[in-house]
Amino acid sequence: MITLSSVHKRYGQEMAVRDVSLHIRKGEIYGIIGASGAGKSTLLRLMNLLEKPDAGSVTVDGDQLTELSNRELRKKRHRIGMIFQQFNLVANKNVFDNVLDSLKLAKRPKSSWETRVMECLRFVGLEAYRDKYPSQLSGGQKQRVAIARALASEPSVLLCDEPTSSLDPNTTAEVLRVLESVNEQLGVTVVLVTHEMDVIRQICHRVTVMADGSVHETIEREPTGVVTIDQNPSWFVEQLREEGEANA
Amino acid sequence: MPEILVRYQSEIWQSIAETFIMVGVSILAAILVGLPLGTWLYLSRKGQLLENQIVFSVLNLVVNIVRSFPFLLLVVFLIPFTRLIIGTAIGTAAATVPLSIIAIAHYARLVEQSLIDVPRGVIEAALSMGATVKDIIFKFLYVEARSGLVLGLTTSIISFISYSTIMGVVGGGGIGDFAIRYGYQQFQTELMLYMILIMLVFVQLIQFTGTTVARIIDKR
Repeated sequence: MITLSSVHKRYGQEMAVRDVSLHIRKGEIYGIIGASGAGKSTLLRLMNLLEKPDAGSVTVDGDQLTELSNRELRKKRHRIGMIFQQFNLVANKNVFDNVLDSLKLAKRPKSSWETRVMECLRFVGLEAYRDKYPSQLSGGQKQRVAIARALASEPSVLLCDEPTSSLDPNTTAEVLRVLESVNEQLGVTVVLVTHEMDVIRQICHRVTVMADGSVHETIEREPTGVVTIDQNPSWFVEQLREEGEANA
Repeated sequence: MPEILVRYQSEIWQSIAETFIMVGVSILAAILVGLPLGTWLYLSRKGQLLENQIVFSVLNLVVNIVRSFPFLLLVVFLIPFTRLIIGTAIGTAAATVPLSIIAIAHYARLVEQSLIDVPRGVIEAALSMGATVKDIIFKFLYVEARSGLVLGLTTSIISFISYSTIMGVVGGGGIGDFAIRYGYQQFQTELMLYMILIMLVFVQLIQFTGTTVARIIDKR
């Protein structure tokens, strides 16, 4: 689904991402965890080319993004949804119009707008909030609107940049449930960047641990919830192992 | 109605009309040229969508130069230019030229500053949805910054009224010029005070309207 090969990204002197290669399978929930400054957000933003790699290639659903023209890239982005830590909704537009933006940008026919927006709002359980403005919503509700907006153009991938990091534990669970149903019911591949262990534990099928711009290791969760680990466990891996042992 | 206002009725209406023309043209120039210029100034800044150090430096310098001119000197300095495009440097039509120039520079700066306040994340979300620069300007930046743009225009309009009062130097007329010639220079202090009062009412009305509109359209 998504393949990064030997991707490098530098900011001035600093290497944000160094020589990262990874493959994300179709239909999985893929976690990327690491301490702040580990380069995990940069890595995610390379997957829709919000950041351009200095070297290496990024392939999403068969298209090598760096080879696309600007127009083709914009078109491709309709198929790669993204949500953010700060939700990034347009504060001066109501919930309906926020979701509608995604359809307008994807140039969907006007006749489909009303149905499609409401379909997406229903999916995240907010159809009653269509006329509210973001300032009238809780953090969890804002993130669900952002998910509805990202889903409206029918993406095959949803990139999530710290989607629960400004939410309290209850609303975190609410947002994670929605992300899980996005994955299970709509078959959307989810890539999730976070620094919170719990988030990984709750919904991710596979996890990549990043440290200092590189992939430290990639861990697969087994159906039992037990985690298999290679040698050299990092701090995060230690935590996951303890979790796995407790479950086993 | 005070007797002195009745006596000068037609001159007063005439001067109000001249002020309206001068300020009206300035507002048009501010919106039609100042708004795009301010948007370009913002977009060419470092880290923005059309980042371009040279474009930004040139635009920034031009706006600063126009704004740092003492306005009276700008009017005099622009006389050859005014003559070139209007055919004369005297009269109300000619007065609209320097007023429009300062209006453009004035509003462009305020537009740039309103747009800076739009959260970076909103632009990123738009990009992630495949928005073009044009989409981002009209569907995101102007929507998110709209109350700042209205408040900025309100501030600008009030400045234009103030600038228009000195256009008497090139025969532009207007309320300010009338107040000076008939009120101050002919020792009719009462008439001058009435004219100041009229301007005060205009300014209050504009400020009230601007503030109210900005509040109503702000959903943040």
